[in-house]
Amino acid sequence: MALKPNYYETLYVVRPDLKEDELSKIQSKLPEFIAAHDGEIMKSDKWAERELAYEIQDHKRGVFYVLIFKALPTVTRDIEKHLRFYNTDVLRFMTVKINEEVAVREKNAAAERSAAEHAAPEAPAESVPSEEPKPEAVQPETAQPETPQDKTPEGTVVQPETQEQETPSEEPAEPKEAEAATEVQGTPETTAEEEGGKE
Amino acid sequence: MESPRDRRYFAKKKICRFCTEPLEIDYKNVDLMSRFITDRKKIVPRRNSGLCAYHQRQLASAIKRTRYMGLLPYTVLH
Repeated sequence: MALKPNYYETLYVVRPDLKEDELSKIQSKLPEFIAAHDGEIMKSDKWAERELAYEIQDHKRGVFYVLIFKALPTVTRDIEKHLRFYNTDVLRFMTVKINEEVAVREKNAAAERSAAEHAAPEAPAESVPSEEPKPEAVQPETAQPETPQDKTPEGTVVQPETQEQETPSEEPAEPKEAEAATEVQGTPETTAEEEGGKE
Repeated sequence: MESPRDRRYFAKKKICRFCTEPLEIDYKNVDLMSRFITDRKKIVPRRNSGLCAYHQRQLASAIKRTRYMGLLPYTVLH
């Protein structure tokens, strides 16, 4: 037995008009396959409901669910076989191998979200993962707002020299670089324009 | 000294965006994937996308995954 557990992500699309109980019938089996081989579910979530780019089995919309888990390679076969069995309800499914870091990041994000839901009084009871939420991931953020700057911004007059000097010296120096920087960090729209003009 | 001949072949130097930016190629990121397909829904070639060979390969397979999941069209004729 040289098989090592890997990290996998299964994305599957179900019919938009699928009933709750039918969906849970499909989903309830998935953890069993993973648990049967000492796997670990890291995230099991609804990803989105969106318009499909083309019709699949005459459906124009689909509800996407994502399942991230750590398991032996053989488990993916069980999961795909299971999803294939419901192929009238599950329009598409795909399992891909992912990096450990991506899996762990997703797990922490999911845990944080579920922790936030627990904290909220009106927590929606849909698909709370069985794993315990990890509070440690939340701590570094709360510890942040300590700014050791003792400067009082209103009282002290900032020397106008520095401001005046900096701005003109930077601008004519390398305007090309500045443009490139904005392009690089630009919003999707700007980059989309860039792509569009390439035909 | 720049000769006219040099200028004729001048092209903006392309740097692979996935090498320089903290972007990840993820087939679920439909907005990102859709930036790398032409208006006929073909995958943008490397000469236009400006990506390095490694990331172009990653991107191409990611786009194909996105297509399979019904998130991007294969053609305009669906």
